[in-house]
Amino acid sequence: MSASQSAVRSRAEAVKVSRTFDWLIMFTLFFVILGGYHVHFMLVAGDWDFWSDWKDRRLWVTVLPIMGITFPAAVQAVLWWRYRIPFGATISVMGLLFGEWVNRYFNFWGWTYFPINFVFPSQLIPGAIVLDVVLLVSGSMQLTAVIGGLGFGLLFYPGNWPVMAPLHLPVEYNGMMMTLADLSGYHYVRTGMPEYIRMVEKGTLRTFGKDVAPVSAFFSGFVSIIVYFLWHFFGRWFGSTAFTKGS
Amino acid sequence: MAATTESVKADAAEAPLLNKRNLFLGVALYCVFYAWVRWYEGVYGWSAGMDSFAPEFETYWMNFLYIEFVLEVSTAGILWGYLWKTRDRKVMSITPREELRRHFTHWTWLVCYGTAIYFGASYFTEQDGTWHQTIVRDTDFTPSHVIEFYLSYPVYIITGGAAFLYAKTRLPTYQQGNSIQYMVATVGPFMILPNVGLNEWGHTFWFMEELFVAPLHYGFVFFGWSALGVLGVLNIEIAALAKLLKKDLA
Repeated sequence: MSASQSAVRSRAEAVKVSRTFDWLIMFTLFFVILGGYHVHFMLVAGDWDFWSDWKDRRLWVTVLPIMGITFPAAVQAVLWWRYRIPFGATISVMGLLFGEWVNRYFNFWGWTYFPINFVFPSQLIPGAIVLDVVLLVSGSMQLTAVIGGLGFGLLFYPGNWPVMAPLHLPVEYNGMMMTLADLSGYHYVRTGMPEYIRMVEKGTLRTFGKDVAPVSAFFSGFVSIIVYFLWHFFGRWFGSTAFTKGS
Repeated sequence: MAATTESVKADAAEAPLLNKRNLFLGVALYCVFYAWVRWYEGVYGWSAGMDSFAPEFETYWMNFLYIEFVLEVSTAGILWGYLWKTRDRKVMSITPREELRRHFTHWTWLVCYGTAIYFGASYFTEQDGTWHQTIVRDTDFTPSHVIEFYLSYPVYIITGGAAFLYAKTRLPTYQQGNSIQYMVATVGPFMILPNVGLNEWGHTFWFMEELFVAPLHYGFVFFGWSALGVLGVLNIEIAALAKLLKKDLA
């Protein structure tokens, strides 16, 4: 092959071109995956994530990890299994959190004037790091699903504990006992989302008393394992390179 | 010596592999435009967007909607038409360097698509949550929807369509047929727009409240998944670039 058939003029240029593509690819992947993940997450788990009075010990803890493990599993299926890049889950979650924080600041606070400590997003990074670390160390999709998936569910509540604990403190208001988060919700009326559609701690799980959150976390971890498997294969399909037949 | 001088001159005259100016201008265009849109929402959302029967609503929001419809259809027609009309009919005969240059331009389009998807699917979609959970809606064309559904979604559709068309008309990699995942990554998010029909139908007839996790919204979720098709595009592109650069990087 002659020099004129080469795409670059030197090895140095080839390296520079390769690095430049890395940046273009990272930017694009980050924001496209952020967009898809955010749409998915806000519409299958969003209400529990938007408002601190939805962040209960039962449904918040159950729903968010199950719905949150989806895109990280799919992205890992390409970034690790094709390129051995070991931060697919963490980068997905960081993208989601970037989108959420920008929104909570500029729109929930900046447009509709809710205080940030009522609308901050849930923390998913600890679980994502566990997913990535288990995959990196084991190199096994099955172990990542079982150990990482379970960890993703189990770590969600403790990962959010430090920021949520003050808002779960009990207060008495007009003779009724409620959490500080509930009280915030009563004061900041949301006309389009009235109280009767708020889904928090309904049902007999409260029979377990103080164990509501651990039971929910274990159930969430269990389902997260299954969802990880499913979305791993979704990720593989989305990463396929098939073409329709040309004309 | 003379040949070397000519080669250097040719290099100096040659267009750069990556046109950084276009890249930064492209991203800046979306950011500046949407910053202005957000300012408009902030000012006229509260002052003129609360009652769809008010005259000021017609002035500030319905007219905005009509103008954006016209501009979007025109932009799509002109941009997509231009890309198709100026297609390379001898695309399989280009030099490897020209192919590399076009991959850079293609990625400039993809960077713009990423930016447009971010604003559409993330920024303005979640913004819709806080507006509609907070404000009573008395129309399908609320200040939030005028921007989210009828501006930010068409903008990413136009951008994604342009990226797809650019690849299809100028890159040898995409001449063997249509990449399924490229179509998924562009047509899927496009389908979110028609799904607005289901959303408005449902909200109008039987679900006035704004519960974001309501099954009524699952159509958006399903089509949102298709953004992952970008992973397939990534794999196709990496393979093509590896083919172009491999021997020089070895």
